[in-house]
Amino acid sequence: MTAMLLEPKFLLTLLLMGTIVYITYLSKRSATASDYFVGGRSFGWFTNGSAIGGDYLSAATFLGIAGLTYQLGYDGAYYAFCFSIGLTLLAIFVAGPLRRFGAFTVADFLAYRFHSKRARLAAVAVVLAISGFYAAPQLLGAAQILSMFFGTSYEFGIIFTCSVMIFYVGVGGMKGTTLNQALELWIRLGAFLLMVGAAIYGGLHYQEILASINEFKGVIAGSSEFTPDGKDIPFDGAVWTGTGNYFPSFWQTISMTIGLSLGTIGLPHILLRFYTNPSARAARKSALMAIGIASVFFFFAVYLGVVGRSIFLSGNADPGVMKDLIAGGNNMVVPSTAQALGGEWLLGLVIAGAFAAVFSNLSGLFIASSGALAHDLYATFFRKNITEKERVIAGKVSIVILGILYGVLGLMVKEASIGHLVALAFTVAASTFTPIFILGIWWRGMTEKGAIAGLVMGLIASMYMIFFKSTLPEFLQFNVPGLITVPIGFLSVYIVSKLDRRVPADVNEFMKKVHSKESEAA
Amino acid sequence: MAGEYTEYNYVAAETIDFSELEPLDPETRQIMKGEFSTGLRLTVLYYIFILSIPILNWFAGGFMFSRMWGGMTYSWFLTSIVAMAMAFIIAYVHTSLYEKRLRNNQNSSGNPAAYSKERRIM
Repeated sequence: MTAMLLEPKFLLTLLLMGTIVYITYLSKRSATASDYFVGGRSFGWFTNGSAIGGDYLSAATFLGIAGLTYQLGYDGAYYAFCFSIGLTLLAIFVAGPLRRFGAFTVADFLAYRFHSKRARLAAVAVVLAISGFYAAPQLLGAAQILSMFFGTSYEFGIIFTCSVMIFYVGVGGMKGTTLNQALELWIRLGAFLLMVGAAIYGGLHYQEILASINEFKGVIAGSSEFTPDGKDIPFDGAVWTGTGNYFPSFWQTISMTIGLSLGTIGLPHILLRFYTNPSARAARKSALMAIGIASVFFFFAVYLGVVGRSIFLSGNADPGVMKDLIAGGNNMVVPSTAQALGGEWLLGLVIAGAFAAVFSNLSGLFIASSGALAHDLYATFFRKNITEKERVIAGKVSIVILGILYGVLGLMVKEASIGHLVALAFTVAASTFTPIFILGIWWRGMTEKGAIAGLVMGLIASMYMIFFKSTLPEFLQFNVPGLITVPIGFLSVYIVSKLDRRVPADVNEFMKKVHSKESEAA
Repeated sequence: MAGEYTEYNYVAAETIDFSELEPLDPETRQIMKGEFSTGLRLTVLYYIFILSIPILNWFAGGFMFSRMWGGMTYSWFLTSIVAMAMAFIIAYVHTSLYEKRLRNNQNSSGNPAAYSKERRIM
């Protein structure tokens, strides 16, 4: 038992858990709803930029992007490219105005813009749909790591992760969540930096390993030992480095580009982070910092996916690594590659980093969904005269409910790919909240009916095209249906608003508030 | 103070026909116009770059998937290296232009808006 606890993967994971508990304990006092939901709007751009990065760079980035590159080659790298676009668009069109508006939740925006409970209710439904879609793959990642490296069952992994989340977010609120997310980002960045350093030190130079992969055509030596049918795995490097592995046509590629690039603007847990800045200026600087970090991260993730593939093809990888790469699927490429590059200590750091990625992102989803349940639903519809203290308690109770709900979702996606599930969450976000926020901030002609129509149509269209893909004509069967669903969202808002024409009488005051001048000193 | 949250009570809000809406005040309109045109120009530029990659991949694949440096193709280089830098460059240019506008606002207004005095913990 003692020997097992002294293994690097146990030591470093326990160290991470201990740090989370300590930070959560330090920031546990949430006296007001502002403290609990938006951290008292007290975080500077560096902390918040790190936290946005931590929130955005989930297990889908840390594990999924490298895994997709390993599996799909160029098409996997293209995934990373699409993910890298969204934060920039968010910084340009939404970050500053959203902070100037400055409420607690995403649904608050609609409620204030239109003085509408119906719009708030529609927004709550969409927040929960997107967050659920996003939370399931994060839990999948955590459970897979636990089962692969600590020998636990998948079900235990889900329950354990949800329990940690309930403690971490329920006790720490947005303050604890922000500080933990910022710290966890730097743990992951450190792990990636060490992996990249080890790969370069080991002579795995980008252009050289790409050349050797490209020239590989045949079966992978040593793979038959771990395949179910006992046969060596065939591989064609020229196909892997080309396009068309996952997106079989030009329009499939464009559809994913649209869905993923516009999805970030509609992610509730990312939008929420901009409320926590002290000023709009700090919000923009936070976004810029997060974009810088994300760009470096995506570059590293793609490179490490190529390194993983190169190790797998080399024929002289450790049998344990080969086994993990075959049995673990593409979600386990980063840990297996870390083990191959730097042994047990680097593997330990990567496992801790993977947990950090999962916790970081899940905590953002929990706090966003908690705001939707406690602040938008309970305090608005069931307890009109709720006190500050009761609002915080409602937030904490909603965390427990969400822990159970997301746990069930996590159990349902055991066989899925993390990266692809997250891509689908992005599509739902791009088709619902993205049109609402862009048009709501920049167009006075948007009406309440238009906003609700956009949310409902965007949600129905994206859900239908994801879950009932096979019922559609072949030319509409997109892997990521952004090309169809995003225009449906935008056009629904625009057409219904144009037909309705009844805008809030105080829309000019709203525009003045979200586009007001601000001081340079902020 | 901008961004301060106050509980909203759902009094049935008035709506008016869009055609009856008063024009925005000149200052807000100028700020919105400046912000939006800058953002739109940068976004169009960014999307020209973004969409050129899949277009070239599918319609000029011979060139895009030819090697430029070791085993790295033009496509791989643009997608996994240049694009990551591009995301930051566009955001950096946008932030710089925003800061410049802020300074101009400061210079043109003798009475700068009071900024948030909320406590910073870090």
